[in-house]
Amino acid sequence: MVSRRRAGADARVETEANLIASSMNVTPETAVVWDALKTIPDPEFGLNIVDMGLIYSVENHDGNIAVTMTLTTENCPSGEWIYEGVKTALNQLPEAKNVEVTMTFDPHWTPEMLSEDGKRQLGM
Amino acid sequence: MGLALIWLAIGTGLLVVHPGLLTMPHAAPPVIALTHSWMLGFFVTVACGAVYQLVPVALTTTLWNENLGWWHFGMHAVGVPGMIYFFQGYQLKEVGLFGSAVALGILCFTLNTWITVGRSTRRDAVAWSIILAAGWLLFAVLAGLFLVCNRLWTWVPVPPLALLRAHAHLGLIGFFLALLQGVAFQLIPMFTMGEVRDWGAAKAGLWFAQLGLVALVPALIWQWTMLTYLGAVAVTIGMVFSGYGLKQSLATRKKRKLDPGITVFLRGGIGLAAAALAGVALTLPDSTRSTAVGGFNPIIYALCGILGGLLPCIAGMMCKVVPFLTWMRVYGPLVGRRPTPPAHSLTQPHLERWGLGLQQLSVLPLLAGAWLLNDFWLRLGTSLLAVGVILFLMDMAGVLKHLWFPAAAPAPTPALKPKLT
Repeated sequence: MVSRRRAGADARVETEANLIASSMNVTPETAVVWDALKTIPDPEFGLNIVDMGLIYSVENHDGNIAVTMTLTTENCPSGEWIYEGVKTALNQLPEAKNVEVTMTFDPHWTPEMLSEDGKRQLGM
Repeated sequence: MGLALIWLAIGTGLLVVHPGLLTMPHAAPPVIALTHSWMLGFFVTVACGAVYQLVPVALTTTLWNENLGWWHFGMHAVGVPGMIYFFQGYQLKEVGLFGSAVALGILCFTLNTWITVGRSTRRDAVAWSIILAAGWLLFAVLAGLFLVCNRLWTWVPVPPLALLRAHAHLGLIGFFLALLQGVAFQLIPMFTMGEVRDWGAAKAGLWFAQLGLVALVPALIWQWTMLTYLGAVAVTIGMVFSGYGLKQSLATRKKRKLDPGITVFLRGGIGLAAAALAGVALTLPDSTRSTAVGGFNPIIYALCGILGGLLPCIAGMMCKVVPFLTWMRVYGPLVGRRPTPPAHSLTQPHLERWGLGLQQLSVLPLLAGAWLLNDFWLRLGTSLLAVGVILFLMDMAGVLKHLWFPAAAPAPTPALKPKLT
């Protein structure tokens, strides 16, 4: 019984991971970058910026890391800290040679960009 | 923020020690001292602090002059206690002296705010509400000084009570209502993941209230009954428009469950609307508009507006803004270097809920006590208010504690492993 329950829970987690991964360009090279980005929180909503859907693209070519990101609004009060935090976290990666973080508001962030896990945590 | 919280404790303490103040005429010196401890001591201090912190961020600019902000703080910190102390004994020259310090501080605030907003390109209802509110606050304080001077030297032959009413409404409607009518459209969508769909309602709300105030102030001074009534109605219509705009904005929210602070803020809006209706009733041509105590009188109106409306609006928003600003100061620089707690985890939800809830609950017995001149209801109301304020202060102290004692790095939350493609 216990193992069947655990198998069900594992399957559910796997499904959620698939849903999140479907919106990410995760390769063996970028996986470490995504993991680093997941340590950066959005202070207001308590989610990490990946689940918030604030990361638009990630590239990693031999340690040359390029991230395109956005904020929930252009006037986001904590935007500067999030942006600086992303640069700090990525520069701390052992394989990072050059880190470039681009902020864009095209397209504008919408709550539909939240990951499934993020939506669930916010009760959406 | 710390100074404002001290004033909240003092204002509440005065009510607990002297609940009978609410059965006195609203122009009695000890009642004026009590009112100023709440309005200038708590509400204005909080609101000015929030303007300094949030306006540059909301308008994507920087505060024009931080030193001027410190000058304002210093003069406010010295001027307000002096004013309140000398109000008790009705020593008007001393009140004027300390009031001048407060006015100079507010002059610094208004200039700083205007220039800060002027450096931004934003000119919507939010920006205009800040510009107007800062201007009206200066006008309200100068009107207060004029009132004191006119009592001493009679420059203009107008009744002091009429000037007092105009002064109070300049502060309440000009500063606080205008600020709330704008800033709510910035903060509520931000905290609820919503958007402002109807800027027309926000603008109409702001401008109707402004129009009403422009009519109300001279009408109150020269006691033009019909214009007073029309001004009060215009302010109320403005509040209805703002409420409608906020309702539309809330309907777009993606974060369905509202935080306690936001809920209480919205209830405060209802309290302000109730006060506006009470104000309209007091301005009806057949209303006595007397200073007589008991029954439906200006104290009831003030209780509805200040404790039933302004307190939940300001305290509710503080529950959102204070943790957020504290997080920015303490944990913002640590982002990317170590795990940081979310802003809302800095508060203690049970203290927040009970504190805000008891504050709101206290308004009913206070209204009953002031209406019926009943000591039991007044004591019950002030006791509930005191407990509510104590719990609220404990919550805020717990948040501000992080400024000196940051939380240890929390254990990282296990993240779902993304599937490699």
